[in-house]
Amino acid sequence: MTSNRNTKLYKITNLIVEIRSRGEILTKRSKPYEVQGRSKEGTVNIFIVPDFEEFERNKDIYPHLTAEDWEYIRTGFAFYDSILDFNGFGLHASALAMDDRAVLFSGPCGIGKSTHTRLWQQRFGKSKVVIINDDKPALRLENDIIYAYGTPWSGKNDLHKNIRVPLEAIVFLKQSQENRIRRLGYKEGLRMLIYQSLCPRKTPEKMDKLLTLIELVLKKIPVYQLDCNIGFQAVGLAYNRIFAWE
Amino acid sequence: MKVKEGYLLRELADTFVVVPTGKATLDFSGVITLNGPGAFLWKLLSEEKTEGELLKAITEEYEVEVETAKVDIVEFIEKLKAADLLV
Repeated sequence: MTSNRNTKLYKITNLIVEIRSRGEILTKRSKPYEVQGRSKEGTVNIFIVPDFEEFERNKDIYPHLTAEDWEYIRTGFAFYDSILDFNGFGLHASALAMDDRAVLFSGPCGIGKSTHTRLWQQRFGKSKVVIINDDKPALRLENDIIYAYGTPWSGKNDLHKNIRVPLEAIVFLKQSQENRIRRLGYKEGLRMLIYQSLCPRKTPEKMDKLLTLIELVLKKIPVYQLDCNIGFQAVGLAYNRIFAWE
Repeated sequence: MKVKEGYLLRELADTFVVVPTGKATLDFSGVITLNGPGAFLWKLLSEEKTEGELLKAITEEYEVEVETAKVDIVEFIEKLKAADLLV
């Protein structure tokens, strides 16, 4: 890892973000979002400067993380925290786009989100199904529409695309022998969304903004629960429910 | 008794939700949904209150019989205690 810091401008979730980075992971994964030709008149919406002194002081708490890993994770937290001021938030989910509509598959770690979206790609083909972000898609309300966005922060894999797709549905996964899908009621949907949304600092102000956004999401798009096993039948069931005309 | 510091009560559509904020997130990782009377009691409990004071307030605010209200309040307090939300 080089010791120089690079300060670059990026456009992420349609916001101008200035990031001062050092490590390979962050630099590589942010490349698709780089803004070419820095404009002096342009406003920077978000500044992200990881505090490496903090990492040095607390290195023992993260023995499994290199400075590069830590930078990648920390800048991600800073980003998802910042977008709350711009009608946006992150959701712990694997997000796919199909026919210009985004579907987010959410749930706790290990539930099978990536496995499920991978099956969609196998079933319909990679030209039809694109992974927007495999771990933390950003949702942003713009002009009364909720969009799902790719970001450089995609978890373990470098699976994300610098695209914006209108949100169609959110599906919470549960592991099950039998495949079943149902629409969640308001309270259930609310609970699941709060659990899986990213709100790093959790100050009352940020939590309040997050709840306002979640309320809007619940008003505008359907939230489902999919009990499923690993297979194409589960994909078909979800596809028919979400995309087929009722 | 009163509720612990650091919880945010928000009204959303036809329900109320309580979420931990700041340091409280270390103690409580859940989400509580409340109905109208529950939210009313929660707000009262942001300051020190006795069961008697809660009973008086709720019977004044809602058209409910004292005996019913008593049972509901006890139940509500037990729930909060079980989730370790009261001091």
